[in-house]
Amino acid sequence: MYERFRERLDKLFENAPQTNRAKELKEELLANLMDKYNDLISSGKNDDEAFNITISGIGDIDDLIRELKEKDVFDYGQSVIDRKKNALILSISIGLYIMSVVILILCTEVLNIDENVAVCLMLTIDAVATCLIIYNVVSRPKYLKADDTIVEEFKEWKSANTSEKAMIKSITSIMWLVITALYFLLSFTLGIWGFSWIIFIIGAAIDRIITLSFQLRKR
Amino acid sequence: MSITSDIIRGHTETIILSHLVDKDSYGYEINKAIQQQTDNQYELKEATLYSAFRRLEQATLITSYWGNQTTGARRRYYSITTLGRSAFKQYKTDWEEAKQLIDKLIYGGNKDV
Repeated sequence: MYERFRERLDKLFENAPQTNRAKELKEELLANLMDKYNDLISSGKNDDEAFNITISGIGDIDDLIRELKEKDVFDYGQSVIDRKKNALILSISIGLYIMSVVILILCTEVLNIDENVAVCLMLTIDAVATCLIIYNVVSRPKYLKADDTIVEEFKEWKSANTSEKAMIKSITSIMWLVITALYFLLSFTLGIWGFSWIIFIIGAAIDRIITLSFQLRKR
Repeated sequence: MSITSDIIRGHTETIILSHLVDKDSYGYEINKAIQQQTDNQYELKEATLYSAFRRLEQATLITSYWGNQTTGARRRYYSITTLGRSAFKQYKTDWEEAKQLIDKLIYGGNKDV
């Protein structure tokens, strides 16, 4: 009987957005419907009677579903908080990039720490910053369709597209920063100014590979 | 009965709050209590009940948490907040006032008509 109720609820919630809120509401409803059903059974109703009475007691569920949709798309307060969080994470990670170079110079020039250790330290800080940026982009909420119209599909497509573009952009800009840092580092420490510029050509190649891999993944 | 249920529906939030004043509760328990208190004359539709829960939660008059049932689906319990308690008090005074006014307007000061 549990399964029968679940199937019916799945059908009723067909048009609801697939969000946590909707899932929670469905679970809550299911528990309460089962309670009601069990009560009806113990008061002497047979299976089908109890099931039908329980289901007809739900009433017009469209209002509930509409509320779920509105909350998901137009939750203004939440979007402001999200934006602030994004900005904070982004500025922290950019701060880390700058700090990493400062720490490198400090370690080698002032504290006379071994160069290898200093470079490792810098790269670790850069890695943390990169992880933060990627987390920030990936965890941004996706735009959910409000209904099946073309406009909504376009909005969803556009949102997916711009977030993907933003991700490519942040990854490549991180890469170029690292490459520039490496260029100076290798050239200064090893004195190979003559051919260390090749790193920029390698960088251009990696740039294209990143863009290409994103486009391929989309297909 | 239809006018009566319309009037009652307008007070769904207050009725829910009144059931949460003494102890935390969940959807079906509240609905069952309503049914018993009205001698099976009135029962809320689930859709009405749960949109009222959402509105109350949004207004921070109630909060919710999941029960720890081990078998079957989990129950979601609701509990009233301090803000909810003061709102409920306000509702009650408002209702008393409305009741008296409507009595006056309908009976015109003469209850026996």
